[in-house]
Amino acid sequence: MLELTGLRRTFGDLVALDDVSFTVPEGCIVGFVGPNGAGKTTAMRIALGVLTPDAGAVRWRGEAVDARVRRRFGYMPEERGLYPKMRVLDQLVYLARLHGVAKADARRRAEETIEVLGVAERANDRVEALSLGNQQRVQLASALVHEPDLLVLDEPFSGLDPVGVDVLSGVLRRQAANHGVPVVFSSHQLELVERLCDSVVLIDRGRIVAQGTIGDLRARRERRLFLVQVRGGSDEWYGSIPGVGLVEVRTDGAVLELADDVDEQRVLDLARASGDVVRFGPVHPTLAELFREVVSA
Amino acid sequence: MNDRLAHDPRPTDRGAWRLVAMRDFRVRLRDKGFFISTGITLAVLTVFILLRAFGDEVTPSFDLGITGTDEVAIQRTTAGLDDVAEREGVELRVVVWDDVEEAEAAVRSGRLDAALVDDELVGDDAVPATLTQLVRNALIRVRITAALEAGGADPSEIDAVLNRPAIEVRTLEPEDPDREENAGIAFIAVLLAYGQLFGYGVWVATGVIEEKASRVVEILLSAIRPRQLLAGKIAGIGLLGIVQLAFIAAYAIGLSVVTGALDIPGTAIGIALVVLAWFVMGFAFYAGLFAVSGSLVSRMEELQNAMVPINLIIFISFFISIGALESPDSPLSVVASILPFSSALAMPVRIALGSATLQQIALSISLLVAGTALLVPLSARLYAGAVLKTGGRVKLRDAWRSAPATNGQG
Repeated sequence: MLELTGLRRTFGDLVALDDVSFTVPEGCIVGFVGPNGAGKTTAMRIALGVLTPDAGAVRWRGEAVDARVRRRFGYMPEERGLYPKMRVLDQLVYLARLHGVAKADARRRAEETIEVLGVAERANDRVEALSLGNQQRVQLASALVHEPDLLVLDEPFSGLDPVGVDVLSGVLRRQAANHGVPVVFSSHQLELVERLCDSVVLIDRGRIVAQGTIGDLRARRERRLFLVQVRGGSDEWYGSIPGVGLVEVRTDGAVLELADDVDEQRVLDLARASGDVVRFGPVHPTLAELFREVVSA
Repeated sequence: MNDRLAHDPRPTDRGAWRLVAMRDFRVRLRDKGFFISTGITLAVLTVFILLRAFGDEVTPSFDLGITGTDEVAIQRTTAGLDDVAEREGVELRVVVWDDVEEAEAAVRSGRLDAALVDDELVGDDAVPATLTQLVRNALIRVRITAALEAGGADPSEIDAVLNRPAIEVRTLEPEDPDREENAGIAFIAVLLAYGQLFGYGVWVATGVIEEKASRVVEILLSAIRPRQLLAGKIAGIGLLGIVQLAFIAAYAIGLSVVTGALDIPGTAIGIALVVLAWFVMGFAFYAGLFAVSGSLVSRMEELQNAMVPINLIIFISFFISIGALESPDSPLSVVASILPFSSALAMPVRIALGSATLQQIALSISLLVAGTALLVPLSARLYAGAVLKTGGRVKLRDAWRSAPATNGQG
């Protein structure tokens, strides 16, 4: 388990991280979500020891992270970086060796990894000759080649085509499920996070504003929203009901917010009284909606 | 991916610098620039050595015409000239001409170096000093012999007196007879060492920038510590510098021995070893600073400015070392050969010329090693603090402050 506790980091006057704490349990995929400049990259760089925090600690399996432990982490930085003139396979063998993989295993591991990520046929090409998408796959390979104990990936999906997204999703799931590797990755593709992650950490302006499973986040939400579509009735049938307000009108109906003391069955009755009810049900907010709510709050 | 690798439960990165060194060594060995620079150096040395072997070192040889009215005098003079030429080791061919004008024409056309007409030595635009001296000696000898014989002296006694060396030269502190040759070797050696120190230092700096500009450094530093990366880079590039320098020295000495350009290859080998040893120490001293100057900037174009202070120091050291070839015992040469900033270039020169004392050599080595030991952790900290900061130029103070804490990193 990776634990970040009370991380604080400033750059001059800018507070990049303010008391940031969250955990990534064994076998879990954690999505790290927040607007640009919220502090995701700073937190990840601190977790990898590339940056030092002003305060707070990073623990791995209960112990302070040192260079030896860190060597067993897999990292994909925000700023992609490989030796442009080095051949794909050589590069991965070299990085595996730097991560402490024995010489005999390094080559086999490098070959396996590019096979899994679908760039095996480019093994002997220089990295600079690859398309950006394929460079991205090699970059991912460099985070995986040493069979890391932990994966920290900064925006791993950006720049990948749909096939690449599926491949990477599969790899991350296998790492977590089969090998118990904790995975934390940042992304702006919230549907993907929703689909892939066991839990989500939401950060805004250097502070953690929400964390937990997606279910937790939804349940914790105080607003009661219902989508109602009535055919043939007037649009204003709900206007006179106390404790019911219109949130938005969508093509598939109106989203209404019900106050805590309003019985949804009564609202349904009123809807039926005004016309044929085609649709009536609670609205589960998407992660994107939760994100917008929390961030704009 | 189901069979997990059997990892050492607590692998350290302690040997990682060797991996880095091996990569840097191999990459640069295959670099086109490396081959070109080696080729140019070898070509220049070859020309230099061949010129020395077959250029000016041949025995002087002259064609002298002789003409005059007195046939007996001509015969005696010719015999005297041959005698003196043989004694002084000069190759002299004396040809008798019937006619003054013909002899002068031959001088004009270059067939003769000069013509002796009675007591007059006729040259075209000038007469070589060696030839003038030789002819003067011969004529004096002929005249003295003639005068003494006229006085009734025994010809063999005259020869015995004239053949005795006029003076013996004795020096109180004899100059090393090989000094000129040693100074020549030392000049080439210091030129090579300067190029090597500077060129490979720049290679360290550009290597650092390459990793910084391509951002691969963040990946590397998530695997190993900055000190390992820095040490590996310096070791790998430095090793290539040593190999190249040793190869060039071996080639130059080998060629000199084969062509006979060097009288005493043993001294040359000694000087080469001294230069190599000081190159290793000097490179270790400067490489960290080159790495720091590379880590402070983000683009190649900015490197030139960042390196100015180091370049200046190395260039001044080179300049002083060239001066030390002339005056190895001057206070400036002595001080420069002891201070660690300049000793890598200045001390080999003084050792080659036999002017450095054992105490000075010991002091020079101690200061260089101590200076390196002091500078390396300093450079490592600045490097670690600066190499992950991209964007503009990093200030030294910021680099110092933002160096990752060393606690908890083993």
